[in-house]
Amino acid sequence: MATTTSGTTAADAEPFDIVATYNELLRSDPDLTMPIAAIEALVLLLTQSVSSTISETMDLLEKSTAHLKKSIPNPIGLSAGTDLFQRYLITTLQRPGLLGPAGDFKAIRTHLLTNGRLFIRRAKESRHKIADFGRGFIRDGSTILTNGGSRVVAALLQKAADEEGGPSAVRFRVIYVLSSTAQDCDHPNEEPEGMETVRALREKGVPVSTIPESAVAYSLGKADMVIVGAEGVVENGGIVSRMGTYQIGILAKAIGKPFYVVAESHKFVRLYPLGQYDLPIKQRVIEFKSAEDIAEESKQDSPATSSSGDDQIELPLCHSVDFTPPHLISALITDSGVLTPSAVSEELIKIWF
Amino acid sequence: MPSTSLALTPGLGSFLQCLKTNPIDTSIETLISLLKRRQIRHSRSCATATACLLRGVITSCRTNDSAKLIERVQNVGRRLMAAQPREMVVGNIVRRVLGLIRDEAEDDREAEFSLSEVGSESQPQTPRAYDDPSLPLDRDSPSLRDDRTPRPPLTSMFSLLSQPEPENSLPSTPGSQSPGGRLFSHGSTKDVRSEVIEGIKEIIDELGQVDDQIAAYALDHIHSNEIILTHTSSTTVQKFLLKAAAKRKFTVIHAESFPNNHDAVHATVSGAAKNEDENLGVEAFQKPLIEHGITVILIPDSAVFAMMSRVNKVILGTHSVLANGGLVAAAGTRIIARAAKVHQTPVVVVSGVYKLSPVYPFDFDSLIEYGDPSKVLAYEDGDLVDQIDVQNPIYDYVPAELVDLYITNLGGHAPSYLYRIVSDHYRKEDISF
Repeated sequence: MATTTSGTTAADAEPFDIVATYNELLRSDPDLTMPIAAIEALVLLLTQSVSSTISETMDLLEKSTAHLKKSIPNPIGLSAGTDLFQRYLITTLQRPGLLGPAGDFKAIRTHLLTNGRLFIRRAKESRHKIADFGRGFIRDGSTILTNGGSRVVAALLQKAADEEGGPSAVRFRVIYVLSSTAQDCDHPNEEPEGMETVRALREKGVPVSTIPESAVAYSLGKADMVIVGAEGVVENGGIVSRMGTYQIGILAKAIGKPFYVVAESHKFVRLYPLGQYDLPIKQRVIEFKSAEDIAEESKQDSPATSSSGDDQIELPLCHSVDFTPPHLISALITDSGVLTPSAVSEELIKIWF
Repeated sequence: MPSTSLALTPGLGSFLQCLKTNPIDTSIETLISLLKRRQIRHSRSCATATACLLRGVITSCRTNDSAKLIERVQNVGRRLMAAQPREMVVGNIVRRVLGLIRDEAEDDREAEFSLSEVGSESQPQTPRAYDDPSLPLDRDSPSLRDDRTPRPPLTSMFSLLSQPEPENSLPSTPGSQSPGGRLFSHGSTKDVRSEVIEGIKEIIDELGQVDDQIAAYALDHIHSNEIILTHTSSTTVQKFLLKAAAKRKFTVIHAESFPNNHDAVHATVSGAAKNEDENLGVEAFQKPLIEHGITVILIPDSAVFAMMSRVNKVILGTHSVLANGGLVAAAGTRIIARAAKVHQTPVVVVSGVYKLSPVYPFDFDSLIEYGDPSKVLAYEDGDLVDQIDVQNPIYDYVPAELVDLYITNLGGHAPSYLYRIVSDHYRKEDISF
């Protein structure tokens, strides 16, 4: 436990800031997903803390999780990670064996602290596993419509295009929907997300067409299937994903094209949204204004930031999400196989009850 | 194969005969050629043949080493599936047998573990590795214990955070061998082989009983004075209806399913059913529906839509059921299911669990088999044959959203629940072997 003691001295100097750690993790590794960053942040938190009893650790985790969730504008993805971490601790402690109640609490602590890197590696490997499962969906001569900047979708498409990915590369075409609102709000002049994937695919010889969101209905007739990524997969099998996914889902259903979602199983989150406006986030997509309101706003110049401390932070428009209900989804391609939307709740039940 | 039910015709009967007298390799070849030539065709016949063949394979394998048994079964299974990739039940049975072997091997390992646990408690100083010469001796004891601990089934979501795989911590172990493989390879206390054979026998029994088990649910689904529409001469459906006919009066509309199955349908309806399913014995003497006082109306397939507005329920048999809830069934089924959807008529599919395949239909077209075009247009019409292209698809793919309920020998399930039955029956590692 040498690492812990040295960590403690560092913690004395400067209190551990889980939010900053989480953001730093996400920034430092563009390949990291939100749930995994959350798990990593919690692991680092445990490294810094001196807690030696189970309930102390649990309490610390709970408080930090609550703090983290409140400080991040979109906590859906990360709550999948924190929940998974907490449930893992609880179930491992209840289970007989070395890490169980009879065993040493330190053992599980050491396991978690020493294997942080391993978790990240596994999470990234699961992306390749999904790509292997999903390869079968992409057939010679097919056209795939996709959107957003999902890394799993990118991995899947690139794997299919790769010569090494299987017996031979699949010859397929991609219609890439580029979002107009999803441009990075910090750098408004940068290219829309997904361009990197588009370039990589074109590099591999895959013909890619980029279309605006308004052309989805027009283009779907030429597509054989829709494949999208997800930020979180909710209990009923629906997905929370980049704004614009819902409408693609509706259109695909109307035109009768299969709509597949690729997502790692650590993105499953215990949430049951009943509709678009039932998500635990605050985003100002619809805003009614009269001329009077606009005049007032320009007088104030800066938008009123008089939100009280308890409130959820508002999600900037460029990161806004929507909810695609399960009946629009043909199948979820995850690292535990191809699932129907109703299988998601079972996976969640397995870890919670 | 309507006109070929002589004793000498190659089929399930001749194969089972061959299995009794010939060495196992000959029997494997026989079944492969039967499958290739489509001389064995009904789902159940194929399933029975596969199960019997695998029983023979296991019997002839003079080893108790489950890893070797798995390899052997996989080998045979691959050849059978390559012979007729569209006959999904063959793969299903192979996967179930593989699952059986794996289960036995794991039981074995657990029993062994508890034994060695007792031993190590009495002599805490002895490293457990001495009990087992195949394990390297230079390992530290905690990792050894982790390796041996019978882990409760880790869910897939937890697998992200779980203990590292033993291989990672033990670079000294040969990389190709999984810890499981190594563990079930050494001398076991139990006769794995006989347990597996016992399990296969249960599968064969299940194949024999499946229709009766399904029929037991008939009274829950067929009510008095209902009008039921069905299609093809599926024995499962016939038994289902007969069971209900014993208690209730209803009407059956039977679509004749021209051109692949109409003779059999006519025979079934009129009660002159020949021994169509080769392995049937007692069933062949069963009374037809009409003798139970059921009104049976025979219609051509083209009249399905016209009749649908009067129908209360559609009951269909199937060739195989896929993991997403879709099914591959006799040609014409999709029209019926679609017509039922338009009229909001419930569609019930009756199928044994053995027809449920873990295969995901990536490409629907590849599942459809094309049959003898001369059934559509006989060769006697020589002039026409030269000039037009005749096609006779045997199967239809019916998407899951057209089916309301599946009735298997385990009960009724919604199509979205089938994945669960798949995961109960097949092991993940066997899905694509």
